[in-house]
Amino acid sequence: MLDPVASSIERYMDLLAARQKLVTSNIANAETPGYRTMDIDFEREFRSMVAGAQPQAVEVPGLPVNHDGNNVSLDREARLLGENALRFNVAETLLKSELQTMREAISGGGGTT
Amino acid sequence: MSLFSSLSVSASGLQAQRTRAELLVENLANAETTRTPEGGPYRRKDTVFSAEPVASPFGSVFENEIGAQGTGVRVSDVIEDTSAPEKRYLPGHPDADAQGYVAFPHINPAEDMVDLMSATRSYEANVAAITAVKDMISHSIDLLR
Repeated sequence: MLDPVASSIERYMDLLAARQKLVTSNIANAETPGYRTMDIDFEREFRSMVAGAQPQAVEVPGLPVNHDGNNVSLDREARLLGENALRFNVAETLLKSELQTMREAISGGGGTT
Repeated sequence: MSLFSSLSVSASGLQAQRTRAELLVENLANAETTRTPEGGPYRRKDTVFSAEPVASPFGSVFENEIGAQGTGVRVSDVIEDTSAPEKRYLPGHPDADAQGYVAFPHINPAEDMVDLMSATRSYEANVAAITAVKDMISHSIDLLR
């Protein structure tokens, strides 16, 4: 892609998207008997994602289990939902400025379109 | 792009909670129904949810390749309450038996109302998830501007 920074951001966003998908799965299954909360180990995955590996979804330990075997905490998922969206916005802003720099370089610094 | 399949996951949640709410409303409406096509009083219905991988029609093959599969929810079964109906002494009722008792559905409106609130809240949670993911998608699109 562009440069190491931009491709790191790109992977960061990929990972956020993968995590958001797990969060939406957890919310959709908040009342499914026996369903366990899934998440990715963000930091570890980010390091291995940079090396080109794919994220692995794992069960989240330490959440209280309901009488029907479900351990989804809607509060936890709501927080993650918001957090992921905000992180994604930050990454998007960074990537946008990277692209802007690239665009300026292409147009020879003679103003942007 | 895995964000789009997040939308499918949340949509499956919406669908499941809507089905559940419909059945709960049906239970409330039929709380006093003594005649059904199958005979006997109405029986309380409830949903069974089960988790299953979602396949967005377009991205399924690609998604299967990259792992981190989203898990949607679906109503796998609708169960009918098999407990004995509630007998009330109403000798003048056309459905009364020889002893004058009428079989009414075993429905507790309070229980159904609480479940209905829970279904509504879960529906709202899924709507919030859709909104958040939609914002992420539109921000990605903004990158191109």
